[in-house]
Amino acid sequence: MAESPQETPQVTYETRRRVLLLAALPIVAFEGWTDATLSEAAKVCVIPQGEIQLLFPKGRIGLLEAFSDWADEEMLTRMAGADLAAMKIRERITFAVRTRLEVLIPHKEAAQQATSLLAVPVFGPLAAKMLYRTVDQIWRGIGDTSTDFNFYTKRATLAAVYSSTVLAFFSDETEDHGETWAFLDRRIANVMEFEKVKAKVRGAAQKVPSPLGVLSALRYPNPTAKGR
Amino acid sequence: MPMTNPKPRKNMGQLRPGAKSSEKRMSEMLRVDHAGEYGATRIYQGQLAVLSKRGTRQASAETIRHMEAQEQVHLETFNRILNERQVRPTALTPIWHVAGFALGATTALMGEKAAMACTAAVEDVIDEHYQNQLDEIGEDETDLKATIAKFRDEEIEHHDIAIEQGAEQTPGYRILSNAIKAGTRLAIRLSEKV
Repeated sequence: MAESPQETPQVTYETRRRVLLLAALPIVAFEGWTDATLSEAAKVCVIPQGEIQLLFPKGRIGLLEAFSDWADEEMLTRMAGADLAAMKIRERITFAVRTRLEVLIPHKEAAQQATSLLAVPVFGPLAAKMLYRTVDQIWRGIGDTSTDFNFYTKRATLAAVYSSTVLAFFSDETEDHGETWAFLDRRIANVMEFEKVKAKVRGAAQKVPSPLGVLSALRYPNPTAKGR
Repeated sequence: MPMTNPKPRKNMGQLRPGAKSSEKRMSEMLRVDHAGEYGATRIYQGQLAVLSKRGTRQASAETIRHMEAQEQVHLETFNRILNERQVRPTALTPIWHVAGFALGATTALMGEKAAMACTAAVEDVIDEHYQNQLDEIGEDETDLKATIAKFRDEEIEHHDIAIEQGAEQTPGYRILSNAIKAGTRLAIRLSEKV
């Protein structure tokens, strides 16, 4: 075999997972996210049945997660070619969400089936985890570096925008997904309105005098002012 | 091309989960460090808000400003590391934002020595915390260990300055100190997970 023994097993492992995933996607469109799909996909790409368990220990659920991770990665790769610096934040976000959905277009059926499976309550935590990862990768991908509570508000806001836009995307029958992009623009506009209100409230809150100045003056009186 | 190279397969099962758990632990450590430095800057800012008012500048203000500047550097370092390693920050920052500032302002209002007692107590726990991390982190993280070791030295310096400035002469020093230490330890435990 041409492979050198130095090659890390992890690379091979990830590659084989990827191969199996990509082979499974067209089958998912007909068979759904089942373990049978996984088994059939393994046959297609000549991966021994016994290895499925190793590649996806959680079976179809692991495959589902790998699909989401793959789409996130693919989104980042496509975004890397764009001139993000020339865009405003809202434009970057719109662009990223649109790219993420465009990645799904060839696999729309599989993605739709994934969403209905994830709607089952037992998969709630998993669905939340996958949504979190996607919005996390979007914010990081457009260069956000916040480490305070904004980290969470940004992700929560985007999660709302993203998840509603995905639903619009699934029900969008238009050829070029024009309805989806229009829907996305409206959601972003909503967020911007809300941000404006928040900024106003913050501005007003800063005008309220702090009681600390009074307390501080009582505890440490100004000696020159008191003439002592 | 048929893909059959059975050899590496055995490792994979062991390599993956093991790699994951240490990554998770590392995230927890970095998260709590970041939270700690964030809290520390807020404590000093709270103290300065009281001790460094215009016209009533207290003698200790300069010392505290120096400590605050160092904590700011620590915080910025962890901001950077968190982003590099894609570690989420603690979700409790709004609490540390308020609680840190309040602790600083309250102790400063009690007196300059109480402010120093607060510093001594917090830095004592942080020193212990960083030492634990230095013991836990493996040799593969040389840079990180060097950073933490440097920060730890500076935290010890803050502690020593605080003692020098009469922290222990605060009325009720033991009670105050123990209360602050208990609070700091709780904050550390919470920030690792949340």
